[in-house]
Amino acid sequence: MSRRLAALALAVALPASAAENVAALLKQADAFRLPAESVRVETQVELYKNGALDKERLYTVYVKPGRRSLVLMKSPSEIGQKVLMLADQFWLLMPESQRPLRITASQKLLGEASTGDIASMTWSEDYDGVVEDEVDCPVPPPNLPEATAPPKPRRCLHLDLAQARSGVTYARIELYLEKSIKLPIKADLYVGSGKRAKEAWYVPKPIEGQQRIMAMLLLDDIQPNRRTVVHYRSIVPKAAPDEFFNPAALVRNSLSGW
Amino acid sequence: MVKRGAASCLLALALPAGAAEFNAALMVAPEVDTPNTASPYYVGPPLVPDRASRQDLELRLREGGFNVQETLRWQTIRDRTPEQHGIANQFYYDGELGDGLGWTAGKKLMSWGVGFGFKPLDVVQRENRRLVNRPALVGAPVLAVERFTADEAWTVAWTHPGRGEGSDDFRDASLALRWYRLSAGGDDLHAVARLSHRRGLEAGVGATRVIGEEWSIYGAALYERRTRRLMNMLVGNGGTLAAADPMSEQVGGGGTKAVAGAQWTGASGWSTLAEAWYDADAYSRAQWQRLDALTASQHALAGIAPAAAIAGNVAWSSQAYLTPNLLRENLLLRLGYDDRDGFRPYAELLATPRDGGRVWTIGAAFEGNRQRLALGLRQAGGADGSAYARAPIRRAAWAEWRLALF
Repeated sequence: MSRRLAALALAVALPASAAENVAALLKQADAFRLPAESVRVETQVELYKNGALDKERLYTVYVKPGRRSLVLMKSPSEIGQKVLMLADQFWLLMPESQRPLRITASQKLLGEASTGDIASMTWSEDYDGVVEDEVDCPVPPPNLPEATAPPKPRRCLHLDLAQARSGVTYARIELYLEKSIKLPIKADLYVGSGKRAKEAWYVPKPIEGQQRIMAMLLLDDIQPNRRTVVHYRSIVPKAAPDEFFNPAALVRNSLSGW
Repeated sequence: MVKRGAASCLLALALPAGAAEFNAALMVAPEVDTPNTASPYYVGPPLVPDRASRQDLELRLREGGFNVQETLRWQTIRDRTPEQHGIANQFYYDGELGDGLGWTAGKKLMSWGVGFGFKPLDVVQRENRRLVNRPALVGAPVLAVERFTADEAWTVAWTHPGRGEGSDDFRDASLALRWYRLSAGGDDLHAVARLSHRRGLEAGVGATRVIGEEWSIYGAALYERRTRRLMNMLVGNGGTLAAADPMSEQVGGGGTKAVAGAQWTGASGWSTLAEAWYDADAYSRAQWQRLDALTASQHALAGIAPAAAIAGNVAWSSQAYLTPNLLRENLLLRLGYDDRDGFRPYAELLATPRDGGRVWTIGAAFEGNRQRLALGLRQAGGADGSAYARAPIRRAAWAEWRLALF
């Protein structure tokens, strides 16, 4: 509590631009990851172990407002698997049985590439928090080939976010947003026990004249020899019909035209 | 079967590759069984094969609403001629009639309901969840109409259309109805009904509730108008040896099947499951005792009756072990772990409290980029005289190596 009070006091003491409404800041940051509320995202995930590529996975993710996501596994070893997320409720479909299985939030976190990391692409619907302080933007570690340090230092807003709803992948996030445009730079991701689970680095690329987050690097604190690179190969505005987000509809191949 | 499977494979290959999703996987699944030579139901090889291996090439194709899953299988069993055949696991089309309204025609997996070791509401697919080293399921021929909204779904399915009464429940023509609703409180609610030649009416309901981030509880119950179980007709008619297979399906009055369970999964990757179920189609303890007594009286004729006649009758009786549940009351406990790096070990205990039977299973799966290796060991035992302790196979060890080709 005292930490929160101190953060609030610091926020009051900060220049007006840094003490902006956190919800508005998060919405601005989200826009760098999702250009529209309803999208189809083609994702390629590379799992590195001890610096060497260990596994590669492909996913198609449909995102709709109301915290709805549908993940279709596309790699040969996982083809046919689907994960549906409706707010804090989750279902898994395995192709062997063709029966949607209700799973818990903890089960969603299992597996090599957490579907929560792949399907959760916004903060504003899931987190509240405070602007902790204004700092020099963190610089990626030198051993990350996918992320390079910018040529000159930048200033960042350091946000301390707590989950506003149940079922989110991480209970707390320390998020660094580039101060001028609110571009996500880095996030420290904490699980419910308070332990930091992962460190995320966001890699922007210019797309049609605008900066977009087109890759996310995840460094695992629990298994430090692992590094995950999530490439967003394409992000296309697409509003799949609501009935496709029905758990019983997972057994149908209805999304092939979407 | 070979021709039809091969034709489906050719059709799959002939479709335009650019627009379709096409996947292939290779599987090798050997199994070694250790016979229980002390079992009164043991008659020795080749009636009880002890080594087998299944080699499958699985092909999947999706193009629009068109779906094909085919298996080309080469199976070897010790002391038998190897077999090759093709299997059309699924071959169906999912079409759309309008917003949220679809139809399906073809051969499709239709697995319904809740449960881990036993699924009473699985009235169409009737998957045996306790088989070791299970091959890929084969769907049922079906004509179905499905209605979906954001939180509700209806399915009306005519299975094995035009076939009439089948040789077993899966092959029996039926009209089946499934309803699903995601309640406002977040619970999964299920209801099924099925009308068939063999069972008459079956109707049941089920639900799953997630509690917090780590717990889920579930339950389901089904009423069936007619129970059916394979019984030895010599039991009760005073005979000891039969000249022809005396095992015949006995049709009884109404019965219930029910399951209830709870599952916990922690952030650490550990998980536990406890599940209890009741299956009215399975034997009671008294029915096993009567079959045991008949088998003992058959063995007592050694030296009096021809050995082949005794062995044949014992082999016929051992068909009682082919049912998914040996006794009506069952309890399953499971402990699992997921290291988030593709290693998933588990241990299971299945108990039949009425007779003290036990089945222990341990196993693990290792998943790489394109390969998956699963290993397992199952041991039957428990109290002397229990159905599992007297099973003709005491131990089974198996492996499955799967390589996703593309």
